[in-house]
Amino acid sequence: MSLRSAMAHRNLLYLLSLKELRTRYKKSVLGWLWSLLNPVSQMLIFTVIFTYVFKQTPEPGNPSGLRNFPLYFLAGLLPWNFFAITTSVAMGNVQSGAGLIRKVAFPHEHLVFSVLIAQFVTLLIETAILVVALMIAGQNAFVWLPVLLVVYLLWALFTAGFALALAAANVFFHDVQYLWSIVSQVLFYATPVIYFPQIIQLTALRRFSTYGPTGAFVGVFHQLMYDGRAPTWAQWAYLFGLAVVAFAVGAALFSRLSPRFAEEL
Amino acid sequence: MSAEVVLSVDHVVKTFRVHQQRANSLKQLIAARGRNVFDEFLAVDDVTFDVHEGEVFGVIGQNGSGKSTLLKCMAGILRPNKGSVRVHRRMGVLLELGAGFHPDLTGRENVFLNAAILGMGRKEISQRFDAIVDFSGLHKFIDQPVKTYSSGMYVRLAFAVAINVDPQLLIVDEILAVGDVSFQRRCMEKFVEFRNDGRTIVLVTHDMGSVKNLCDRALWLERGRAVDQGDPGGLVDAYTERMLGGSQRSEDGPSRRGSGELQVTRIEMMVGDDQAPVSRLRTGDALRLRLHYRSDTSVPQPVFGVEIATLGGVAITAPCSRDVGMVPSSLSGEGFVDVSFPCVDLLPGTYDLHTSVTDFNRAHVYDHLQGAMRFDVMTGRPYETGGIVSFRPEWTVS
Repeated sequence: MSLRSAMAHRNLLYLLSLKELRTRYKKSVLGWLWSLLNPVSQMLIFTVIFTYVFKQTPEPGNPSGLRNFPLYFLAGLLPWNFFAITTSVAMGNVQSGAGLIRKVAFPHEHLVFSVLIAQFVTLLIETAILVVALMIAGQNAFVWLPVLLVVYLLWALFTAGFALALAAANVFFHDVQYLWSIVSQVLFYATPVIYFPQIIQLTALRRFSTYGPTGAFVGVFHQLMYDGRAPTWAQWAYLFGLAVVAFAVGAALFSRLSPRFAEEL
Repeated sequence: MSAEVVLSVDHVVKTFRVHQQRANSLKQLIAARGRNVFDEFLAVDDVTFDVHEGEVFGVIGQNGSGKSTLLKCMAGILRPNKGSVRVHRRMGVLLELGAGFHPDLTGRENVFLNAAILGMGRKEISQRFDAIVDFSGLHKFIDQPVKTYSSGMYVRLAFAVAINVDPQLLIVDEILAVGDVSFQRRCMEKFVEFRNDGRTIVLVTHDMGSVKNLCDRALWLERGRAVDQGDPGGLVDAYTERMLGGSQRSEDGPSRRGSGELQVTRIEMMVGDDQAPVSRLRTGDALRLRLHYRSDTSVPQPVFGVEIATLGGVAITAPCSRDVGMVPSSLSGEGFVDVSFPCVDLLPGTYDLHTSVTDFNRAHVYDHLQGAMRFDVMTGRPYETGGIVSFRPEWTVS
């Protein structure tokens, strides 16, 4: 993976991302709306379950005082979906790019980055809707957008690291994609997306849920959107470290393995 | 040659792992205790050559000689295990046309995507877009998804993109073998135009005719090693010679049918006035075929026939002795029949010879040898680029 070849092919990255966005809902009637309906339907399901089945009362936002489970839920779910979808689609994209990889020399990482960019665009659009909903509920989330965007970028870097590592590993062992679908489900429940971490009784589990890599990020998303509170310097440092380490490891693995893609795929 | 080196391949070695039991899943990997059992297969073994500016460089060799691997190393698709490939010009690779096409996108979108894969910037593509569409001749369909294209349209569009990337160094793999005749002609024209522009072409091919015709220099690969490089004429002849070895029979050997009263036992081929039998000739040679026969009984009025056919089974010529009234009243015992062709203007290629012996009415077959002999014609005079046979054309321009 070299910056020079990546730059020389930046037009390719742009077009591949555009392709990701264009072809996804090409044949559907609702098209783009699906990418919005998905989180909305998920939100409705979990809201019904947690208000009527498990009877959870949402914690009030501090200092916002917001008491609204669906909004809390969405603030974490949207970035989580970005992470989960990007990693799984990136694996598929590299695998289905076999024809291209075997016939043309081009920076393979663009197959991953194009997914990342397309999903990031989707995330931004979904977040815009979340912000509107928050404003209606009386929380001025708009002022937090610049900070949120910076955290989103760190989250994207973190996600890119995972996506690169998994996509590269999956070329050599196709089990990786199935294994990852299980692991990412475990991670989903170990991350405070559909619950407030305070309710966990078991200390070890609560700690992981709060301070684990994904939990730390999602916690900050809640903090920004639901609570209306800026991250502390310690949080910034932690998130920054996580993002850089994840990306460095993923990129190193990918550039080590990608020259062999053409013969392995 | 003093021209600048545009591509240098320096002691390139490429090996592949041939897995006996490929661990494709973690379960298998764990079962194999983390070890993958594999053999190393040496596909390209220490190959070195330079290609100079403005040169057409051919790479020849049998299937499995490492041509394609070498090409992929040059193109940067595979990384050599040892040695290096250095490219000093903008390179275009025609390995497979339309490799990056996406069926759901329109022709227009695919042109942009494909050109980007080949390394073009957005502005550059916009500038050349019209030229690309013109070359492909697909104006009407350019906004349709390419999945609605016929395979011919698909290839045309892909070639139009590939050729308009405007490479200074073009690497081509067997591309002349695809598409219909008019498309092949168009490719050919484009290559000649390229060469005349002083651009560099590396051609990897089986087609000895195009190597002789187009290339300035050639490299001969065998089992991954460079056997020789240099003047394509001598190289192609040496290569053809080596490949043919002693094999002159058709693949399945000859098959015989007929009642068998009189049989052709042996065939000899002689060139010119030479008495020594040969197994190949050159275009324009005088050829004599000697059919040795044997018969245990007396056979009345036997008619001998020979047929020269392409490997595809098309008869090019099929004379018989009755055509010229040369029918003996009867034959018995052993002897031979000669048939001479003053000049065989078959163009380079491989041909089959069939023989037959029939009664005078050509109704009863005594002996028929299908694929009695397989022989090769090598480049001689006259030389032509296409076709099977030369009619010795004479060109005048006024």
